[in-house]
Amino acid sequence: MKIIAFSDNKAILSQIISRFRDEAEVHAITPDPDFILKYGASKTFGLKGDVLSGPVSKAIEKMYQSGGYDLIAIGSTVTGREVAGLLSAMLSTQAVSEVNSLSFNGGKATTSRFFYGGKSLLTEESVAKIAVVAPGLAEATESSKKSDITELQLEPSSVKIVSRTDKKGGSVDIEKAQVIVSVGRGLGKKENLEKVEPFAKAVHGEIAGSRPVCLDYGWLSEDRQVGLSGKKVQPKLYIALGISGQIQHIAGMRNSKVVIAVNKDKSAPIFEEADYGIVGDLFDVIGKIKDKLAQ
Amino acid sequence: MAYNVIVLIKQIPDIDQMKTNPGTGEPLIQNVPLRMENLSKNAVEAAVRIKEKNGGKVTVLCFGTEKSTSVMKEAYAMGADEGYLITGYAGNYPSVTANALASKIKEIPHDLVILGNQSADSYTGLLPGSLSAILGEPLLGNAIDIKLQEKQVSVVSALEDNNLEIATEMPAVVSVAQEINQPRLPPVLQIMAAGRKPINQVAASNLQVPEVKTISNRAPKSDRKRIVYEDPAKGIEEVSNVIREAIR
Ligand SMILES: Cc1cc2nc3c(=O)[nH]c(=O)nc-3n(C[C@H](O)[C@H](O)[C@H](O)COP(=O)(O)OP(=O)(O)OC[C@H]3O[C@@H](n4cnc5c(N)ncnc54)[C@H](O)[C@@H]3O)c2cc1C
Repeated sequence: MKIIAFSDNKAILSQIISRFRDEAEVHAITPDPDFILKYGASKTFGLKGDVLSGPVSKAIEKMYQSGGYDLIAIGSTVTGREVAGLLSAMLSTQAVSEVNSLSFNGGKATTSRFFYGGKSLLTEESVAKIAVVAPGLAEATESSKKSDITELQLEPSSVKIVSRTDKKGGSVDIEKAQVIVSVGRGLGKKENLEKVEPFAKAVHGEIAGSRPVCLDYGWLSEDRQVGLSGKKVQPKLYIALGISGQIQHIAGMRNSKVVIAVNKDKSAPIFEEADYGIVGDLFDVIGKIKDKLAQ
Repeated sequence: MAYNVIVLIKQIPDIDQMKTNPGTGEPLIQNVPLRMENLSKNAVEAAVRIKEKNGGKVTVLCFGTEKSTSVMKEAYAMGADEGYLITGYAGNYPSVTANALASKIKEIPHDLVILGNQSADSYTGLLPGSLSAILGEPLLGNAIDIKLQEKQVSVVSALEDNNLEIATEMPAVVSVAQEINQPRLPPVLQIMAAGRKPINQVAASNLQVPEVKTISNRAPKSDRKRIVYEDPAKGIEEVSNVIREAIR
């Protein structure tokens, strides 16, 4: 088998390569070739030029048409999904999106993805040749397999970059955290984070949050958002404080090993997705747990 | 200058009201009410604001079924001028949707096509790219701000690690993110007026539904312990032990 793998996110790309390098010849396309080299793709192409969806899709189209590829696997990012949509139309071939598992059987692909905002897991068999891959397809592991870096110059685009602003935050990677203390709207106000921080420290946890907390109110930076439209995390311990447990939130923390929830509403759906739940005021409860842990 | 804007909207089952069959875990969508998809509202809002500021016309397209007239009326109430309901929607096939919409878009003179970046139910995010390729118009994606100047459109595109300001010549396709605006709640008078406004219906032709076999579609299994302490005093001891164990 021969696969083209592209992502502008090096973590997802390293997972795709790790997943397929033993059963397929993987040709990786990346803006970070030096990093990607370690993961054992058969060929590594380093992108030169503006990594915009238009030019990237043209470069992949050209490579695909040079022949013999069974699949184009694309990491699910804003740019990646655009590239997949463009390529699907350019190559008149089907694309399947947000897949979290992917296998092949006689030219057919079996994929699973979440549907209805995460309420169901949809497993399908199709002839899709393009797969948009969600983070966490496989664990990224380094390989001793070596390849050289080939430069791949992107064509100029009719879309021009005017400016680029880094988002605040950026230093945390909650996807790798072993313990996560996640706060929801139950936090009440930004200043209350000060009350959660000592608790997070006591359990050696990173602080994350629901979408309202990270996006609508900006109490936390966006890179700490867990959920369907945020990060997919898989810590050993996930502690949800004042989070109601809407399905879009669950979609991001479902793979946690142990889940603890604190919510003052005993009918909150988060208790359905928790191993241990405490009905009560979150500040009261975390204060007491912290004292207990210190004993 | 005035702009002709086409905005694309989608009708979806109200996911929050959706239940799953407790026996099989399959989603029960039969009697779930239908509503306008979240980002479609942001798209309509963005289009109407452009018209309010610069003049021009907002045309709504919805690829749906005969039941989709209610979302068209909602878009009218928000300020859209004209609408085409393209019937024939038979499921979530982004390539089918892209072609059905593109063939209508090509008949309507326009400067911009605005749509939501990802739909709240299927969440594929494939449509903006596919439309861009079929129409041969550049894509400015996941916009949280749109600016127009003469024939030039620029947007702030929200990427994972940074916000990218990008610009191109119109006609162009712009997909929007939730942060772009707060969709308006139209006043009752406008809702009533919208009810009387005609909706053009056209049937989609030549749909090429791809071969996809559903193997299963079920609520993801959750085998959590679900031990819930209604008395915090009791829970704290046990939960502290669990935490101690987990962080060792
Ligand atoms: C397309 C789409 C994508 C989405 N993506 C995401 C996503 O990626 N991540 C995400 O999180 N959401 C996402 N959402 C939003 C999601 O549907 C919910 O609106 C959101 O998760 C709710 O956040 P919350 O639990 O913090 O707030 P709420 O639902 O308001 O819950 C707050 C909870 O706090 C409890 N509470 C209040 N005060 C206290 C207290 N003192 N002590 C204890 N408990 C208290 C309340 O009982 C309540 O249960 C998405 C929605 C859509 C439509």
